[in-house]
Amino acid sequence: MSGYRMEGAGRPDRSQPVRFSFDGESYQGYAGDTLASALLAQGVTLFGRSFKYHRPRGVLGAGVEEPNALVSVIRGPGRFTPNVRATSVEIYEGLEAVSQNRWPSLKTDVGSITDRLGMFFPAGFYNKTFMWPRSFWEKVYEPAIRRVAGLGDAPTEIDPDRYAATYAHCDLLIVGAGPAGIDAALEATGTRKRVILIDEQNELGGGALSDPALNPWLEASVRDLRAAPNVQILTRCTAFGFYHDNFVGAVERLTEHRADIGDGPREKLWRIRAGEVVLAQGAIERPLVFEGNDTPGVMLASAARAWLLRYGVAVGRKVVLMASHDSGWRDVFAMAKAGMSVAAIVDVRGTVDQALLDSAAQLGITVHLGSSVIGVSGRHAVSGIEVAANDGGNRRKIACDALLMAGGWTPTIHLWSHSKGTIAWRDDLGAYVPDKPNENVRCVGACAGKWDFGSGVVVPALPTPRDPTRIKAFVDFQNDVTAKDIGLAVREGFRSIEHVKRYTTNGMATDQGKTSNLNGLQLASTALGRAVTEVGLTTFRPPYTPQTFGALAGRAKDALFQPTRKTAIDGWAEENGAVYEPVAQWRRARYFPRGSEDMHAAVNRECLAVREGVGIFDASTLGKIEVVGPDAAEFLNRMYTNPWKQLQPGRCRYGLLLKEDGFITDDGVAGRITDDRFHVTTTTGGAARVLNMMEDYLQTEWPDLDVWLTSTTEQWSVIALQGPRARDVIAPLVDDIDLSAEAFPHMAVRLGHICGVPTRLFRVSFTGELGFEINVPAQYGRAIWERVFEAGRPHGITPYGTETMHVLRAEKGYIIVGQDTDGTVTPMDAGIDWAIGKKKPDFVGKRSLSRPDIVAPGRKHLVGLLTEDPDVVLDEGAQIVADPSQAVPMTMLGHVTSSYWSASLGRSIAMALVAGGHERMGETLHIPMPGTTHRAVVTGTIFFDPEGSRLNG
Amino acid sequence: MADSLHRASPLPGGTVTLEGATLSAAPEMGRYSLRARDPAALAALIGRELPDAIGACSGGIARLGPDEFYALLPAQDALPSGEGGPVSIVDVSARAVGIVVEGAGAARAIMAGCPLDLDRMQPGRATRTVFEGVEILLVRETETRFQIDVWRSFASWLWRSLAGVNAA
Repeated sequence: MSGYRMEGAGRPDRSQPVRFSFDGESYQGYAGDTLASALLAQGVTLFGRSFKYHRPRGVLGAGVEEPNALVSVIRGPGRFTPNVRATSVEIYEGLEAVSQNRWPSLKTDVGSITDRLGMFFPAGFYNKTFMWPRSFWEKVYEPAIRRVAGLGDAPTEIDPDRYAATYAHCDLLIVGAGPAGIDAALEATGTRKRVILIDEQNELGGGALSDPALNPWLEASVRDLRAAPNVQILTRCTAFGFYHDNFVGAVERLTEHRADIGDGPREKLWRIRAGEVVLAQGAIERPLVFEGNDTPGVMLASAARAWLLRYGVAVGRKVVLMASHDSGWRDVFAMAKAGMSVAAIVDVRGTVDQALLDSAAQLGITVHLGSSVIGVSGRHAVSGIEVAANDGGNRRKIACDALLMAGGWTPTIHLWSHSKGTIAWRDDLGAYVPDKPNENVRCVGACAGKWDFGSGVVVPALPTPRDPTRIKAFVDFQNDVTAKDIGLAVREGFRSIEHVKRYTTNGMATDQGKTSNLNGLQLASTALGRAVTEVGLTTFRPPYTPQTFGALAGRAKDALFQPTRKTAIDGWAEENGAVYEPVAQWRRARYFPRGSEDMHAAVNRECLAVREGVGIFDASTLGKIEVVGPDAAEFLNRMYTNPWKQLQPGRCRYGLLLKEDGFITDDGVAGRITDDRFHVTTTTGGAARVLNMMEDYLQTEWPDLDVWLTSTTEQWSVIALQGPRARDVIAPLVDDIDLSAEAFPHMAVRLGHICGVPTRLFRVSFTGELGFEINVPAQYGRAIWERVFEAGRPHGITPYGTETMHVLRAEKGYIIVGQDTDGTVTPMDAGIDWAIGKKKPDFVGKRSLSRPDIVAPGRKHLVGLLTEDPDVVLDEGAQIVADPSQAVPMTMLGHVTSSYWSASLGRSIAMALVAGGHERMGETLHIPMPGTTHRAVVTGTIFFDPEGSRLNG
Repeated sequence: MADSLHRASPLPGGTVTLEGATLSAAPEMGRYSLRARDPAALAALIGRELPDAIGACSGGIARLGPDEFYALLPAQDALPSGEGGPVSIVDVSARAVGIVVEGAGAARAIMAGCPLDLDRMQPGRATRTVFEGVEILLVRETETRFQIDVWRSFASWLWRSLAGVNAA
């Protein structure tokens, strides 16, 4: 034995030493070690501080169930990973790990004062103590509590790593490559099934890795599986969630174990659709509940076995077993045979299998039956234990440096539970096992409760002569929940395990109660005097073990986070200094500043240019739907409020779309191209929604109509040319359309060519000026834009953006659905009931327009507001009141929906939704804003050119 | 005159090499969304045969649904407008662009973001599907060659996403 390393035992490669550091101290291990095994081999017992009481903690388990030994791994800027289990961290040359939740150091932690004051920190303490004053919670209490009671620090830098993702399909997915999983995979070799076998560890084998007798079988099996062309093996891969229809999410760790991480992805998300899933996740040993069971050096017997046989590490020079189950006996027998000293076996049972007693005798191990450990001495490491007979007598002390717990086994049914399979209680196992599947999934091996570990008894907590209300016997190690906390929860009236769990936080830590759920359940069941099955079992939810956000996000970061939709003209705008704003998924030019102009100055200039000359605007993002078929007019007539059947080909109409509830949901202009073909436009943000809504009605309400809908949003680039000089600009570019006002009036559409490119030329206006919208196939969008821009230079053509568009339309009182409406505004409220076809028998939303609440007086109406001080531009969203001197809370009449400075009018303008607004014309209302309250007069919504004469120029 | 105008594509030129596959822009094509309650009427109107089975693709025309077809034709092939007939024929040539993924690793590259089981997709099949959050039309032209049709404004995102499936 060198340190605690056992010569000749274990899998780590002794010819490959690996240096690493923990809390700044340098250590050496071997390739194949975990951080935990390498530190244990060096005699380290203290790994961390507990969540609430800051108690010193060692390692409890040897795998992903580990609740105590959480560490942070640092590997350069941005690469800081907190809360990883030391038992799952593979060491590599230069690994830098640090402990957590301690200050100033792991050995001397000021926070441990909470441990001594533990009696003042019962379950629910924080909720009870820090409730009042309410305002203190967010700013004072929570940050302070979080600082003291916490896990690792959250990373603060941007994650520089990249993450891969893929879908995969297979006929058989096997989760877990222990003996049962390997057998299931071997069965499928030689078949035509596509098999994926995944395991969270660095090598296949699971429990077999801790059983040298199985080595030859394991080697041969792994060789056969690797040779099988139909089997894909993924190691270091955790199946974290089981979703509907055998869809399993898994994360493969690609670089976490490597000294040189290269420049490939750190992790890969596998989204696997499987014909059949076999869950072979094994079982986790349960700790026993007694005072001092969290002292560093107290651990699961199975873990000690793994340290020895898999990693070649003795967990102590003199160990004691505390058992309620046969399996621990076998573990310590293996240790004794390997040369470790076993000071005693203590078993809570009065009788055990004679064969076990014989083996113990042969190995010279003292046995105490019908006895329990009642105390553990040592603070940073076990130095001895006190044992008593179950009746409290015969107390004695035993010197030892490690105490092993064998409390029975809990099948790992997490993924089974995700898949909504039912579970059944097994009294003999003291555990739930999988029962009826809900998907094409089955459990095999220990995961199904099938194991040959022997038998045991279930004890909620070990008997003790001490006052159970004064001791700390831990149930949930990670969340610092003790047996008496669960007792308290029951005394305070909690009956369901779901409530007990939330009150005590038992099982709510990052380990999801892998080692604590069943013990918590047994304690609650005993305290309540009800069967375990009546108390229940809390629900497991993904992820099975914590996963990085990066892995779940996959490639969806930075430029690939979300598609930013750009028009064909976007590049021109970029080259010409546009400032952008996001609109739905698009980015749109908001304004085009010149020199040092701010938005205000640029927008004023752009607005005046349109009113006095001509402006050019990229309207390509407008939603477009081609409605085609013999019943096209009939369909639009039923969808929109307006009449469509009499509209002549070549003419356009404003369309107003309501939902069934009578509220405005979208609007746009549609042109009739031929008798059976309409070019319908929608708002930018409404494009997909409107198409879906139309399809919904078409398919479910009117399947008899011969009409079809095709999205053409992206087919057309749309160049809006607006202003009194618009016609002059395009006249030289268009030779097959008569552009004269007589031949081509406002609200008309013509087919022809511009610069030789086919166009649907609309004469429409969202500015109140003479205007055209030039539709050309998108690949020509930029070229035509540039030609039009060149042609417009002599006329002073000015590119403008969405902000100017907003101002110009507001000057005309044109609404923007979603800004001036909010899903509760009817056409009457908005003052656009002129768009309702009065003679139409029906349209979507018509019946709702006569509902009592829709026709009742006092509804909010869209009105104009002119501030008394013309220089004041109201805040959009500002509330409106009738009397600013009324008591708070005031009666609010509505809010400002649109508000701008109008350069054309030389004053501010605003629109607002105001209760009874149409009856308040000329009334002065008040708009409280930060610092002062403004006065404004209610007006109509058309501020500029109310006669509309400019439109027809 | 139109011929002298620059025709813009949202895709970069050239090819990108992936593990076992290359990524390149498909040439300009004629694209038509074809709808009809009676496919025979549609076939007669356009003078072309239509595939019978949903998901089949022949003569450049894919059947996407009971009443929906999508034509991917050489750029110069124009279809009639179908005016007056019980059909909908809409020219959507500019709505989408094509990305060709070709090579032994093509299916694997696409499956990085497409939830379909491409082992089960035969050459000559076409379907509407998604790549992560973006809708695509996927045509398996041969065992190792796919064309992905994607709406124009999503094309640069999709290109970057595909180009990064191995590197990411």
